[in-house]
This record gives sequence, C-alpha cells and structure tokens, in this order.
Amino acid sequence: MDTPEPPPTPLRRLLRSLNFGSLGVTTGFAFTAALMLSPIFEVSFGVLLGRTLFVALLLLLVFNVAQRWPASRLPAWLPRWLFTLVAVSLAAPLGTLLVYLVAVGGRAQDFFGSEPRLTGFFVITITALLLGLLIALTAQLREREARARALELQLQLQQSRLEKQAVDAQLALLQAQIEPHFLFNTLANVQALVESGSPRAAPVLRSLLAYLRAAMPRLQRHTSSLGDELGLVRAYLELMQMRMPDRMQFSLDVDPALLARPFPAMALLTLVENAVRHGIDPGENGGRILVGGRQDGSAVRLWVEDSGVGLSDKAEPGTGLRNLRSRLQAFYGEGARLDLHDATPQGLRAEIHLPATTASNAA
Amino acid sequence: MTTTALIADDEPLLREHLQRQLAQLWPELRVVAEARNGREAIELFDELTPDIAFLDVHMPGVNGVEVARALAGRARVVFVTAFDQYAVQAFEQGAVDYLVKPIDPDRLALTVQRLRQPAAVASSLSPLLDALAQRLQQQAPPRQHLQWIRASVGASVRLIPVEDVVYLRSDEKYTLVAWPGGEALIRKTIRELADELDPNRFVQIHRSVIVALPHISHVMRGNNETADVHLRGRSEVLPVSRSYVHLFRQM
Repeated sequence: MDTPEPPPTPLRRLLRSLNFGSLGVTTGFAFTAALMLSPIFEVSFGVLLGRTLFVALLLLLVFNVAQRWPASRLPAWLPRWLFTLVAVSLAAPLGTLLVYLVAVGGRAQDFFGSEPRLTGFFVITITALLLGLLIALTAQLREREARARALELQLQLQQSRLEKQAVDAQLALLQAQIEPHFLFNTLANVQALVESGSPRAAPVLRSLLAYLRAAMPRLQRHTSSLGDELGLVRAYLELMQMRMPDRMQFSLDVDPALLARPFPAMALLTLVENAVRHGIDPGENGGRILVGGRQDGSAVRLWVEDSGVGLSDKAEPGTGLRNLRSRLQAFYGEGARLDLHDATPQGLRAEIHLPATTASNAA
Repeated sequence: MTTTALIADDEPLLREHLQRQLAQLWPELRVVAEARNGREAIELFDELTPDIAFLDVHMPGVNGVEVARALAGRARVVFVTAFDQYAVQAFEQGAVDYLVKPIDPDRLALTVQRLRQPAAVASSLSPLLDALAQRLQQQAPPRQHLQWIRASVGASVRLIPVEDVVYLRSDEKYTLVAWPGGEALIRKTIRELADELDPNRFVQIHRSVIVALPHISHVMRGNNETADVHLRGRSEVLPVSRSYVHLFRQM
C-alpha cells in the first residue's frame, strides 16, 4: 500500500507561499507606493523604491509566518487574525526603522536628529501600515470564504452520499427477493408431494403462491398492513417447515388489534428469513421460531426470536438489517428502532419498536 | 451382488422422493442408509460402506462436499444440488456426476445408466472437491474484526453493531460503550478491544479511551501537548493523552 507523502514541514510551506504571485503583487505595491511618495521625498526614486520594497517584502514575510505559526504555540485567547494583525502592525515601523538605520550606517543620532529622515520614516511606516493591514484583512476574508466553500462542498458530498444510500437501498429491495436456491428447493419438495399423491401438496402450493406473489418486486406495494406481512411470514414458515419438519417449529402470536396497521412490505420477512437461514438451518438440530407483537401503551413491539445457533460477534451484519432499519425509520421516523439481543439459552431475538403513531397513521 | 447406496439430504421429503425415483429406475439398487446431515452421512458410510453416495451439497454442519472428501474415493459420488450456478459449472468440468433439484426423471435415468457401468478410471477428485469447498466458503468470508459488541442492557444482552459505536471508555473494572441509543458496560478491556476492532474505524486516543473516527466532530489542541476530541451530536469531550496526540498532528 502506498504511504502518503509526508506533510510539508512548516518551513517548506512558508517558502512555497512566497511564490511569484505574491512576490509580484508585493513588488507592485512597493513600486506604486514609491511612485506616489516620491514627490515628497528628497532621496532619489531608486533609493525610495529600495526602502519601500524592503519594507513591503518584510511585511509579506511576516504575514505569511504569522499565518502559518503553529497553532499549538498560539495562546488560546489569541485568534490568529489578531495575531497576524499585530505582527504586521509591529513589522511596519520596525522594518522601516531598520531601513533608515542602515541608511545612516548605524549612527542612530544621525537618524533621530534629522527631521527629513524622521518624516520619511513616519510616512513610509504609515503607508506600509495602511497597505499592509488592508492586504492582511483582504487575505483573511478570502480565507474565510475558502473555508466556507470547503464546508459547503463537504455538505454536498454528504448529501449525495445519503442520496446514493437511499437509491442503493431501493435497488436492493427491488432486486433482492426471490432467491433461486430457495425457490428450486421448495419446488423440489412440492414435486415430491405431488408425485407421492400426498394431500399436503395443495396447501403447500397455496403457500408457495402466496409467498411468490408477495415477493415479486413488480407486484409489491410499497406498504402493506401488518396483517398482510404476517400472512407472508406464515406462508414462508409453512414452506420451510415442510422442508425441514424435524428441525423447525414456529409460532405466530401477534395481538389482533395490530393487524390493520400499515407496515413496510417484506420488513418482518427479512428478520424471519435471517432467523431461518442463519439461525436454524446451520444447526443439525435446528430450533424454533417465535414471531410476536404487542402494544406497549401506544407504541408497538414486534419480535422475531429463534433458538438457533446465535450470532457470532464477527458475523457480517447483513445489508438486509441495515436496509430494514432505514426503511423503518423512513416509515415511522427516528423513533423506530431495531435491536438485536441474545436469546436464552441460545439464539437471537430481533425486536422492532415502533413509536406511538398519530390517529391518521393508525388506520 | 447388489449395489448399495446412501442418500444424504437435510430435507426428508427429498430423501424419500429420490428413493422412490431410484426404485422406479433401478429396482435392484438397495438404499441402505438415509442421512439427514453430513456428520450422519459419514458415520453411516463408515458403518455400512455402500457403493454409491447421493449427497446433497447444502447440509447443516458438515456439507456434502466435505462428506465427499471424507469418503476419499471409497464410493461413487453423485451430488444433488438446487440451483447453484457455480456448483453446476464445477461439476460439468469434473469427473463426478450431479443432479439438480427438482430432479428431472430423464436426467436421473442418465445418471443411473452411468452408475451401472463399471467406473471409468477415476482421476482424483481432490482438486475439484477443494475448489468446490472453497466456493462454498467464499459465500460468507469470515471477518477478522468485531462486528458486534455484546453488552448487558437490563435483563438481556444487546448486540450493538460496531458502526453504531461512538466510543469506548474504561474505568477500573468495566468498559463503557456509547452509541446513539444509549450506553452500557461491558467486560472487555480497552486492550482487547483495540486488538479486535477495525483499526480503520476505531482509534485508541488514551490508555482508557477508544473512539470511532466517523463520530469525531473536531479535535481541539490543549496545553501540555494534549488534546480534546469533540463528538458529533454528543456533549462528551474525550481526552487525548500525550502518547496518542501525535495521531492528530496532521490536523
């Protein structure tokens, strides 16, 4: 696996920031300042330009250093923009002072004693301060804009990711349903019953039809009632019991008052299929499956419990479960929950909690 | 000497049905054993040593392919499988016969005809069986990291999917696991969890704290080369100790 490039050291980042763009702009400002100030200065334009250029470049350097000053070294009460401002404000007079001291060859009294030089000092300092602060503030604004844009992009990315998830879930729902393995195994059993002339053939075929009809994506209504869903679950369990009568028993115990409630299609079936496929089927001795539902005040509890092999803590959570959770929440809101518990003495219990519905939903 | 056979299938109706079909097509064949899973198949085979074994591929515990391997060429094997595309392909290339459920009588007749002939020089079945076994395994590749955290909540043990876990924090005796729906105590230590959890998602930031990266809102540098982790949608602040603060240096 490729290791990412090590992040640039602060020094390298600083040097990178002093690119032609910023150097060019700085030189431009220095040149303009020198042009504007030359009428009031005694010294030649070239000298003046030299001074303004030096101060300008110094300010550029100080600005960039302040912007890249490591956050850990900044006291918590000092925001970076203030730090930068103070640094630039200090650098202007100090830099100009340095220029003048160099000009007088280090003889400070020649500087402080000379009126024109002092005036020059103040003029350049003030010009530098004004221009410097103006540029610093503009840079801050641009950075804030850039950050806002980055955040917006991130939010957009998140949004499109959520949309993609929703689309994927819908697609999975459309494609999932009838597993060939299940279908052909069941048909083989039906064939056995038919050829042996068993009277069980007819009711089994009815269950199979009920299951297939409900499981065909194109024929699916997006919502059905809990009663419809239980009919589907019963058909499935009857088929599975025909196939493995010695290894599976089941019982359905749902409060009749709940049957009229709207319920997302195939939702409970997902849990029952998981219970059979991953709980009961892998075990040589199988187990039993309980499907139940009760009112809890005005909320509803539904459960599918199996006494099978249980869930290993390294077992891949199926996309079925994840999708089911999203579907329940899309249908009932954030209050809908899907929880898994260990069943005692063994097996798994999946519980759906539906929050209290408003009168209009309950019909 | 009559030819004997064993039928193994976890679905009793299908065992009976195959037996009836064989009785029609090959009345001299004696089915001496019916097994309902792979383990039973091997036991009965060792006891009765039939000449032919009809093996359902998909059986609980030990599956049909593993039974065939255990038989190691001591009997002629016919696999019976529902619509398993990969298996059918494998069989077509291999020197072993197969039947697809629901079993078509004409196809079974063909199989019976082949079985009645003396066995052709059998090339080793092992490579085919190995490939099949691998395919069966691939259907559910084992994961090496924890996918669920088991925590006692009230009277029951709750299974919390690892993608819901926000952070884990231990005190002297127990570890607290926090997820959007609540919190619970578990017995696993931070060290055990650090080993078993996916390191691409979970990061240890302190001797007693592990946090899930997607739930981090931002990290604030503090004094003394420590930092604090702030979480999305939660008020807790998790400490990053000095030994782990280097993980956030890039931010």
